[in-house]
Amino acid sequence: MSGERTPTGRKRPRKRGRFLPYILLSPLVLFIGALALYPTILTTVQAFFTVNPMDPPTRFSGLANFRALFHNSFVRQSAANTALYIVVGVGLSTLFGLGIALVLQRRSRWRGVVLALVVLPWALPAVVESVIWGWIYDPTFGVLNSVLKSLGLINSDHVWIGIGRIVSIVLIELVQVWQITPLAALLILAALQSIPQELYEAARVDGAGRWEMFRRVTLPLVRPGLAVAMVESLILSLNVFDQVYVLNGFAPGGASIMMQTYQISFNNLNFGQGYALSLLATFATMLLSLLILAVVYRRVEF
Amino acid sequence: MPVLLVVVLLAALVVLAAACGSSTSTSSSPSAAATTSSGVLPSPTAGSSITVVYHYPAPPKSVLDQFTAQTGVKVSWVEVGWDNLQTKIATAATSNTYFADLTDVDWSKVGQYYKTKWFMPLNPYFDAAALKADMPQIDTFASNGQQLALPFDSSFTVTTLNTKIAKAAGVTGTPANLTDYTNALKQIKAKGAVPNPLDIPFAAAEGLSTYWYQLTAAYGGQVLDASYAPQFTSPSSAGYKALQWMVDAYKSGLVPKANIGMADYQGFTSEMAPGRVASVFSDYSGSVGSIYDVPSSSKVTGQVQYIPTPGVSGPAPNLSNPDGVGIPVTAKNVAGALAFIKWFTDTQQQAIWAGLNGSSDVISGFPLPARVSSLQLLAQGNKVSGASELMTLLGSSRAEFPGPGAPPWYSQFSNAVYTNIHQAAAGAETVQQAVTNIATEVNQLKASQ
Repeated sequence: MSGERTPTGRKRPRKRGRFLPYILLSPLVLFIGALALYPTILTTVQAFFTVNPMDPPTRFSGLANFRALFHNSFVRQSAANTALYIVVGVGLSTLFGLGIALVLQRRSRWRGVVLALVVLPWALPAVVESVIWGWIYDPTFGVLNSVLKSLGLINSDHVWIGIGRIVSIVLIELVQVWQITPLAALLILAALQSIPQELYEAARVDGAGRWEMFRRVTLPLVRPGLAVAMVESLILSLNVFDQVYVLNGFAPGGASIMMQTYQISFNNLNFGQGYALSLLATFATMLLSLLILAVVYRRVEF
Repeated sequence: MPVLLVVVLLAALVVLAAACGSSTSTSSSPSAAATTSSGVLPSPTAGSSITVVYHYPAPPKSVLDQFTAQTGVKVSWVEVGWDNLQTKIATAATSNTYFADLTDVDWSKVGQYYKTKWFMPLNPYFDAAALKADMPQIDTFASNGQQLALPFDSSFTVTTLNTKIAKAAGVTGTPANLTDYTNALKQIKAKGAVPNPLDIPFAAAEGLSTYWYQLTAAYGGQVLDASYAPQFTSPSSAGYKALQWMVDAYKSGLVPKANIGMADYQGFTSEMAPGRVASVFSDYSGSVGSIYDVPSSSKVTGQVQYIPTPGVSGPAPNLSNPDGVGIPVTAKNVAGALAFIKWFTDTQQQAIWAGLNGSSDVISGFPLPARVSSLQLLAQGNKVSGASELMTLLGSSRAEFPGPGAPPWYSQFSNAVYTNIHQAAAGAETVQQAVTNIATEVNQLKASQ
């Protein structure tokens, strides 16, 4: 006998057909399981073990890896540096992203071209961008110094990266901001475009000006898009590596937490501590993401 | 159907775990080869193949085909950048996974590889004592009696001077000692031949550490003694003076400001090759031929010479930092790999890599042959810039850490060295703080072993 009959007399789909979605999903599940879930579980477990080919065998060490990391001054400094990368990265990419989204929202025949140009930095590999910006910042031949000299703002070649910690971090993060802002702009633009025009018309009827409409209509209703864009920027800023590596090498002044993870794992071969630091970075990402969502995100229904 | 989802997920994990487990089984031990008597290589299997992963570009296919014709072993050459290769070696070895039959063994990693047992000792196959006269740097690849690699090139640090710039500033003759050298640099700066005559790569990278070791040797000392105790904390020590000299050179403008973020190779190509600086105290052997005398990338062809590295009262020793070639313990075709090492480091072949048969057969970027006999072949044919000077310098070169070789924790040590020297030059630390920090790190590393 084939399938059961429904109250309307139609046959239910064959049971075999009910498995089809899961069969179709299985490659993705396999992919995520192998490349995300398995490494996550492994990292979490190994963070509590001494995994160091220079100090065999691999053995359970409880919280020793975490204690060692908290006592490591380079880790503490790189955590502080990363906090600054996040502040600059999330702040500027959200600000610029919002500005670009507001411009792109206006209908114009150049919109497509502008959109393509805006997205370009996002499409380039981070290493390539860092090399290009390295030329801009170069003290001897860089565009930055020659522009500032031609404007009379500086008299001699200025070394931008490697001398002052905060200046180095801000300039390195600017490179990442340049790269991630297009993504933030697109996410915010999507949110902007979902706001019904009737709300602006109603506000206009009530006598609201442009600033009032932005503050009272746009900003509250774009918050879901802003939250997603900020979380995205947070993840990328917290994991900054390529830009730091190309522009600053392993100099501690600008080292990020990911640089430190790389150093501990592959230079010192202390994989246990590397796992522990990765785990801490993951927790920090989750906590800060939740914080952003709690503060910025609001459910919006039209 | 969440249960089904969980089942699929678990199956995925099981498959993955099985895959990871099976990777360990691919690591065949070289038992067959290990039974061979000293100096005799096992015969490779005709039709087999080897994978060579190295940071040099592949030799020309026609030359590799000659090896295949001689041994029946096919060669697959994979080029990976030096930094990435070190990461690859570490990750493959840690996960006990095969990735190559033959790969790079850097001089600085020998102590580490001895301790981790990631590379096969080559003592049963190559007689290091017999090779020593022709391969002066072979000891660099031995730790506690284990020969973990054979030198593939003979890189060592050497001082280079742009004689045209020097003459333009009135510096005639070769500086005989460090005082003369420093005065010559000051004179070049004062005369305005170039505003900043000296290249020191102050980026926090390995090249900065190497520079300090060479300057320390020039001041008549070494950074660590045979028991790896720090030798640079006293202001009267060679290491302290060398560090002070480097920082003073930067702060007094002998070194371009931009060098705070410049790595070694970057300095050679973007400062020395265009003639923006006049000298590199700790340059690499081979730089003249492979960088400064290459018209397409240099504006100083024929102007740069190797000079005896100035010491306190005469020429200083030149420190070896060669690359070696070794066999990971996870190699699958040990006999093929051994045959390749023998061929690859052979007198004739080494000379060919450096240009004996013309440019078509060279390995791009190859500095200098590992063998004196290969250098002699090149010198006879006038095939390498400064071959006769280099032969003398090669003969007097010495290991960076004579005796026990590089410590197992060299990577962490070097990291502390370049980080603190960079900080001192950037003004974030004093020289005293820098040496104290480096010494503290050394003592902690020693205590942790």
